[in-house]
Amino acid sequence: MKKIYMIAVSVLLSIAAAVTALPAGAGASPADNGTFTVGFDAEFPPYGYKDDSGEYVGFDLDLAQEVCNRRGWVLAKQPIDWNSKDMELKTGSIDCIWNGFTINGRENDYTWSIPYVDNSQVVVVKAGSDIDELEDLKGKVVAVQADSSALAALTSEDAEEDDLALAASFADLQQVGDYNSAFLNLDSGAVDAICLDIGVASYEIESRKGFVMLDESISTEQYGIGFLKGNTELRDQVQETLLEMAADGTFMETAEKWGLSSSVCLDKDTVIQDDTSDPSKEEEPLWEKLLYIVKSLSEGLLSSLAIFFLTLLISMPLGLVVAAGRMSKSKLLSAIVSIYISVVRGTPLMLQLLVVFFGPYYLFGVRTTSAYRFIAVIIGFSLNYAAYFAEIYRSGIQAVPRGQYEAAEILGYSAPQRFFRIIFPQMVKNTLPSITNEVITLVKDTSLAFAVSYTEMFTIAKQVAAAEATIIPLFTAGVFYYIFNALVALAMNKIEHRMSYFR
Amino acid sequence: MSLLEARNIKKSFGDTNILKDISLDVEQNEVVSILGPSGSGKTTFLRCLTMLETVDSGSISYCGEKAVSTEGGKCVYAPKNDLKRIKGYYGLVFQNFNLFPHYTVLKNLTDAPVTVQKRPEEEVTAEARELLRKIGLSEREDRYPHQLSGGQQQRAAIARALAMKPRILFFDEPTSALDPELTAEVLGLLKELAEEKMTMVVVTHEIAFAREISNRVIFMDGGYIVEQGTPSDVIDNPSTDRARAFLKKLQAQAEPGRQSLHPPVDDN
Ligand SMILES: Nc1ncnc2c1ncn2[C@@H]1O[C@H](COP(=O)(O)OP(=O)(O)OP(=O)(O)O)[C@@H](O)[C@H]1O
Ligand SMILES: [Mg+2]
Repeated sequence: MKKIYMIAVSVLLSIAAAVTALPAGAGASPADNGTFTVGFDAEFPPYGYKDDSGEYVGFDLDLAQEVCNRRGWVLAKQPIDWNSKDMELKTGSIDCIWNGFTINGRENDYTWSIPYVDNSQVVVVKAGSDIDELEDLKGKVVAVQADSSALAALTSEDAEEDDLALAASFADLQQVGDYNSAFLNLDSGAVDAICLDIGVASYEIESRKGFVMLDESISTEQYGIGFLKGNTELRDQVQETLLEMAADGTFMETAEKWGLSSSVCLDKDTVIQDDTSDPSKEEEPLWEKLLYIVKSLSEGLLSSLAIFFLTLLISMPLGLVVAAGRMSKSKLLSAIVSIYISVVRGTPLMLQLLVVFFGPYYLFGVRTTSAYRFIAVIIGFSLNYAAYFAEIYRSGIQAVPRGQYEAAEILGYSAPQRFFRIIFPQMVKNTLPSITNEVITLVKDTSLAFAVSYTEMFTIAKQVAAAEATIIPLFTAGVFYYIFNALVALAMNKIEHRMSYFR
Repeated sequence: MSLLEARNIKKSFGDTNILKDISLDVEQNEVVSILGPSGSGKTTFLRCLTMLETVDSGSISYCGEKAVSTEGGKCVYAPKNDLKRIKGYYGLVFQNFNLFPHYTVLKNLTDAPVTVQKRPEEEVTAEARELLRKIGLSEREDRYPHQLSGGQQQRAAIARALAMKPRILFFDEPTSALDPELTAEVLGLLKELAEEKMTMVVVTHEIAFAREISNRVIFMDGGYIVEQGTPSDVIDNPSTDRARAFLKKLQAQAEPGRQSLHPPVDDN
């Protein structure tokens, strides 16, 4: 039996190794495998976000698609966690960051394309508020997105004196994870104003009701496409095509489609000033919106289910192996396993996922790809849950009376027979309540896969919430998790009931 | 050839010597009772004989096959395969039964003969049913241990040991976890086994029972066998003071002693 688990584990590890090794060297340039992977923050409309049909769309993605069409590349759209963008780029899991990506302040961190959007940082307040100009922000609570241009403009080392002074006059400068929560905060009065890019501001004001933009702006800034530092070859290819598109008017057409014609700055001579015509739809009925949300979440649910079942399938038997190691007579083995268990239990699962995903590159210089993402999630979850299951098994085994071992010994059972025929069934019964707890926790923990930008249900809920400017998707996700767990609890209850024939 | 030959067994836990030098031979068809005060090492002795505990020195053989021997002060156990065969010669019945809770009564009896001895299941099941009939548990073969009374559990545990067809059966205080009314049914079964010439070694505090079924009674104290002989020698005419004192105390407990636990109220 032990052998089977060992085989299962080694198969998994070798799959991981194979996937990791396969595209080594190919991930560097899209020319090698023909795929151009664009990293973007899927909660940043209109540059890149999830639309009503569940597609990733946006101005930047349209541009990227056109570049790929002209160059004969295949476009891969990879939504990323904005905080991990540098790691994604360095490990080669994306080829560039193309996502309303601000050059100012990051000039030396990437190899940049020429700027194609010139954007200002503006202030949005609630309609009818007493804030009319920047001065009025004194003593107010202001929100910015974490690591956003607005934040940089207000607080970074390179920020203008005026802006620093402005920021200092605020009662508080709150960093929020995404614009959806920023607007929820503003709406609820938890913050008084939001500093953000003008493009985003126009879009949000358009799609939400009751917000206005101040006339005064904080700063001006430029967007470019960020490539891994030194990757001028790919940069030049993309830039050449982009200029081509600017020359023949495709670029401007695309900008108009997204209502960005006033912010783009390529080939300014041909700019046609017109009203920002919103490409997006008229108000759709609520039930259609709900249907769309449920449909989107259902797709994410499949990913969550995949994490859930694969993790259980691997970690439950793996936990037995770990428990065996923990209880081994070999002091060394037992000590090593104890350290593993205590590290897993003593650090956040989210951190462990990041280590498994980015570790191969940062520790061993192995470039990883997007395909490794899912494998990393499964490895991370399995290693984590195996440690917890191991401890549960161990206490379950120790709760079996000594007399059971001795009776089996006297009757001549071999050690494996003794364990699997006599001890194991009693251990399972002893541990079922704890296992149920752990399984229910796992259902909720699947949402942590967002840490490595694996798009499971919760990530999609956040994206849809941002695109639709509502919290209904988050609420719906909560309902989904609750139902999922209710089913899990029901199943575990059945199993516990079936085990109640003995005591 | 004796069924069991144990010579000069010594066993200590840490610094305390529990078995100081004990030898015991058991012949085919013999019933031996072991008496002795609490802490005298009776359980430890049985556990050494059944190899749940390793001895420090001495030798043990079953049916002429050496399980443990001591040469030049070094204690050597037989190779694994020999030990496995030798372990098939004996069985042990525990004070607290230790039936497998997740198996039915029938399965408790049949599992080891089928999976360990690799005997055909139909044959084993038929024999097990016969044993259950004999101990009066036929009706209960599909019950789980927790659904049985203590006396029924101990009878099932004895049947489980018998299903392995041991040549010698050890009992460690088989009735001391039972209420007095349940004790009789288990002792009755032991008496039947004795009449069928089952070879048995029984650690017990039931003197009347020991006198009735034993060919030989052994009195252990302080890690030694202090006295041994026929029941009438050891129980009725003990030659040592220690045995006399112990037996007197036991008899006092067994007869009017129970009441002395609840002294009359008017004493106050
Ligand atoms: N595993 C052990 N480690 C240390 N000491 C032990 C161990 N097992 C038994 N002893 C000690 O050995 C001594 C003899 O114990 P044993 O159980 O053999 O006595 P006993 O004659 O069976 O007593 P009782 O009539 O109470 O069952 C006791 O003092 C006990 O504390
Ligand atoms: Mg004892």
